Amino acid sequence: MSLVYALLVGIAMGVLIQRVGASSPAMILRSLRLQDLTIIKFMATTIAVGTVGVYVLSTFLPMHLDIKPTYLIGVIAGGLIFGIGFAVGGYCPGTCVVGIGERRKDAWFALLGGITGALLFTLVYSLIEAPLLKPFNYGKITLADLVHAPAVVVAIGLAAVLLTAVTLLPTVRARNGEARSSQV
Amino acid sequence: MTDLTASTPLAVPRAATKFPRWATLGILFGLLSTAAIALYGPIGVSGTYPRFVGALFRRVLPEYAAANPYLVKMGSLLTPETMLVVGLLIGGFVAAQLGSARAPALETVHAGETTPGRRYRDAFLGGLFILFGARLAGGCTSGHIISGITQLAVSGVLFGAAVFGSGMLTARIIKGGR
Repeated sequence: MSLVYALLVGIAMGVLIQRVGASSPAMILRSLRLQDLTIIKFMATTIAVGTVGVYVLSTFLPMHLDIKPTYLIGVIAGGLIFGIGFAVGGYCPGTCVVGIGERRKDAWFALLGGITGALLFTLVYSLIEAPLLKPFNYGKITLADLVHAPAVVVAIGLAAVLLTAVTLLPTVRARNGEARSSQV
Repeated sequence: MTDLTASTPLAVPRAATKFPRWATLGILFGLLSTAAIALYGPIGVSGTYPRFVGALFRRVLPEYAAANPYLVKMGSLLTPETMLVVGLLIGGFVAAQLGSARAPALETVHAGETTPGRRYRDAFLGGLFILFGARLAGGCTSGHIISGITQLAVSGVLFGAAVFGSGMLTARIIKGGR
């Protein structure tokens, strides 16, 4: 049944990503250049609603939580490498698949690059596991563990901060009237 | 604004014009990610790539696939995450078909992308870096940033900060394409 749920969630997620414009590499670059915060505000809203939803529901429903471990070197180095690729290509692992669905040609190259990157990681895994993935592993810790507060309280606090930020910050910053990319 | 609207179709009419579109879509995505965690587990994408690599190896080099600790750890493609990725493809297709504006086949995002070939090069290199980084960190935008921070995971917060810090710096160094 999980497979069916995941397929349906994926379809809905694909529609949302396409509609908000996150599968557009130009939109991603405008986000990273802080010219257009639409995608960042979309993500922040998603997290705000999700975190309250999950932790409020978890007080009276069994939830399938799956916290990823915090191994400092791998998580931070991986994020820094990911950020470079994000800015170079304008895609993330999911948005290039959505992009292929909406017939973007360059999305195929991002997917191929992704498969190549995963292949490279597979080949070097046994070399980097001990130095990068094992040390400084704090396990499945959450912000609630750090501040010693109930998760639902931290979730509501985080949501309040995120929603305040998306409300106060401007969405589009026009720079000399033009801040957009062209097409080939 | 012509090329901009192509990537952000305005097909869905909204009654409340004051309420921003990103907020509506963000609320829907938040409810969706909550539903996923209630039904089967947090959304994630990037693990599908090494599982796909593993499926290829099991076809052509089964001994290597069985001996590589990472491919063994990641397991087969028969997981909810694979189905989610299939769904993304369908969702992107459906949304594009129903939308009024067609997505451009190619958008250039950097000044150096003067030919389609150079754009493809950047897309390929970008894809390579994001997947290597995501596998090193154990998740991507979906698994670490959306699902991770939603579950208040410290790893998600750190990954998100690293991604946006490095992404903003890189975008600045490359210099904008117009």
